[in-house]
Amino acid sequence: MTASEADTLTVLLLEDEALILWDLEEELRGAGLKTVAANSVDRALDLIERRVPDVAILDVNLGAGVTCEPVADRLAELGVPFLLHSGDLDRSGEVIRRFDVPLMPKPTPAYRLVEAIRALR
Amino acid sequence: MTDETDQVHRAYDDSPQRFRDKNAEDSFSGANGVLFEQAMSQTRMAVCLCDPSTEDSPIVFANRAFLELTGYSEEEVVGRNCRFLQGPGTDPEKISMIREALEAETVVVVEILNYRKDGSSFWNALHLGPIYDDAGKLLYFFGSQWNVSDVHAARAEEAYAKALSRELSHRMKNMFSVIGAIVNITGRAQGMQEEVRVINDRIQALGRAYEPTLDDASLGSIELGQAIRSVLAPYDPEGQRIRYQGTGLRVDPNVVSALGLTFHELATNAVKYGALSSDNGSVDVVWGMTDTAGEKAGGLEVVWTESGGPAVSYESANEGTGHDIMRRLMSLARGDVACDWKPEGLVVTVSAPASLEQTAP
Repeated sequence: MTASEADTLTVLLLEDEALILWDLEEELRGAGLKTVAANSVDRALDLIERRVPDVAILDVNLGAGVTCEPVADRLAELGVPFLLHSGDLDRSGEVIRRFDVPLMPKPTPAYRLVEAIRALR
Repeated sequence: MTDETDQVHRAYDDSPQRFRDKNAEDSFSGANGVLFEQAMSQTRMAVCLCDPSTEDSPIVFANRAFLELTGYSEEEVVGRNCRFLQGPGTDPEKISMIREALEAETVVVVEILNYRKDGSSFWNALHLGPIYDDAGKLLYFFGSQWNVSDVHAARAEEAYAKALSRELSHRMKNMFSVIGAIVNITGRAQGMQEEVRVINDRIQALGRAYEPTLDDASLGSIELGQAIRSVLAPYDPEGQRIRYQGTGLRVDPNVVSALGLTFHELATNAVKYGALSSDNGSVDVVWGMTDTAGEKAGGLEVVWTESGGPAVSYESANEGTGHDIMRRLMSLARGDVACDWKPEGLVVTVSAPASLEQTAP
């Protein structure tokens, strides 16, 4: 990917932990990517309808038994590549198995997620 | 076991004999009958027989263990269908399993929540099966009941402990992610991104070293191999370049932070200068107890051997603070790091007492 291509990429971030969201946003922006951030499934779906992102990083477990599954389904429909980010592989197993996408365990430093995002495109 | 659940036969149980006297034609005469009588009165297993030829298949026989288990008297039991043992917490699915087995005349074993006369409940491992006469005619349904409440409680406790440690493990990983985020955000704000990256990698390596602890937290020790594997995992995403060999050696949790950070530093250096910096390089990690007599006896030893990387010199491998950190850490943990910069690859022998307490002054 060239620098100019990177400028045009928009990454959707779905993460319920505000500090992690903040860190990811800064890291990705620092790497020359554009970000849209969501801390809930509804917010993420809303953002996708407004503008389809180029790539996405989805936290699997969003608390209280909610997972990123509806967002992953929508992105898969739209053909948007994404990666899953999870700290609980036991409980996320079903979601992870459903989608054949890269899985980044938590904790993974933000800059490694950026590398993985670049590898998606 | 409490009195209430004690199914031990305490006094002579004459119910089998009375039942046999009334049902002589049902092959309960002769040796079979004596056997039935003896077995039913002596067994601690609660047993009942139901008569499927009578309307609503009533109980026609219940031994003393059955009465003791359920708290009912013989008069209260005989003549009634077994369903009086069911109650509000009984799983309807289990009841239909029983019904299906009765209809199909097959044997079934179900664990079902049953209720005593006093309303208290118990987990019943119920075994049901048909009994035929010599001509193959269905005579009775045989039911044996065994109170498995203790087993159930133990299983529930184990499941709870597992769920709890999974939750704890999830929260710990999340906590390390959040710590990482705070360090990054602060570092960026101070314009120290590079320094912060080094700090964060160390923090995250420490988090990984403790990951295996929570899976079997109750044991109070950590499996060394698991800790090393999880620390090194990010440096070998394909799982092709680092080979592991060792026993299921368990170590004190307090040795793990020093060892975990040491292997993080070794891997970081290998990625920058050593075997993991080239496409064909690999690392062997071998651990076990030392066979050395004397001071190091009874300690653990991990040998890190790089091969297939660029030729190393003392200068190239000694760059950075990684080695200083390892030495300092391992010496504080009353262990040792010995580096041998062989031209074909670095060999590092890390030794430590299996438990810090063993050698603490």
